[in-house]
Amino acid sequence: MKTFEQKWTAWLDNELTGKEREDFEASLPDRAAAEAEKEGAHKLGALLKQELGAEALHNEEFFSNQIRERIALHEQTRRSGFAWFDYVRSTSWWTVPRLALSGAAALVLFALCAVAVLREKNPAEQSQYLTQILNARVDPVVSPNASISIFETKDDRVTVLWVEGLQSLPSDYAAK
Amino acid sequence: MQTRRRCFVTLFALVMSVAGPLYAEPHTVWSGLVMAENVAQPAPIPRELTRIEQTLKELFGYNQFEVIGQSTKTLKSGDEDWLASSKYFGLHVDARGETAAGYLVDLKLYKEDDVLLETETKLSKRSPLVIKGPLVGKGQLLLVLVVQ
Repeated sequence: MKTFEQKWTAWLDNELTGKEREDFEASLPDRAAAEAEKEGAHKLGALLKQELGAEALHNEEFFSNQIRERIALHEQTRRSGFAWFDYVRSTSWWTVPRLALSGAAALVLFALCAVAVLREKNPAEQSQYLTQILNARVDPVVSPNASISIFETKDDRVTVLWVEGLQSLPSDYAAK
Repeated sequence: MQTRRRCFVTLFALVMSVAGPLYAEPHTVWSGLVMAENVAQPAPIPRELTRIEQTLKELFGYNQFEVIGQSTKTLKSGDEDWLASSKYFGLHVDARGETAAGYLVDLKLYKEDDVLLETETKLSKRSPLVIKGPLVGKGQLLLVLVVQ
């Protein structure tokens, strides 16, 4: 057994048919007001459908637009990777063979510089920039108390062989 | 074609500028017997010693450095020997070959016929050698070798 509200809703939705519909319409106290309300409900439904449909379309366009923007951004990023190469190719002098030649020349220069630096920085025991005293000796008979020390000055890289205790000589020996 | 030739010339110049120093020219070695003294009116320091003037003054404490004997030798084979001598002293330098940084040299300091000092040295092109010799009167005898 349907209540009045259930029948009313079904009538508004045009779901009542046959004798059930005729009986319900006959039971309405104001048929004209009910028809007007039904018509209003239908208009409202149509309006809602229309608006909901438009919203769905709007979202679709929004997402579609987002995807298009991302695709465009991706394309731009991908193309920018080739921008310098395209620029280089478009100029008159920097052709691909010349680029290769320049690269080879740079490698040769690097190798020569490396060889030069390695030759300079390959000392035996200490820095080859400095003079090295390999050995030194004083005649023990002539100068029995002599001692020898070796050092370098930092400023002008002078190597000094410092001999102490050599026999002192008269000033006559300073003659040219 | 013109551009290619220009490129080749530029590259060749760059290569030579880098490779050039690898094949160095012969060097000249200056060897000197120097008397260091303190005097009231010091003479200007000899040209060969100007580079190490400050070091000499600070190390030995003298204000005048006079060359009493010297010799300048251009080394071609690196096996040359020579003598720098004064009236009583002689510095015999015997080069025994070139090294990567300079020359291997044997030095002997003579006082007349006596050998006062002997050394074997790797003389660098960039590093002068100074040897403190005997005291002479109120001064000091120094032996200096410089690759020029």
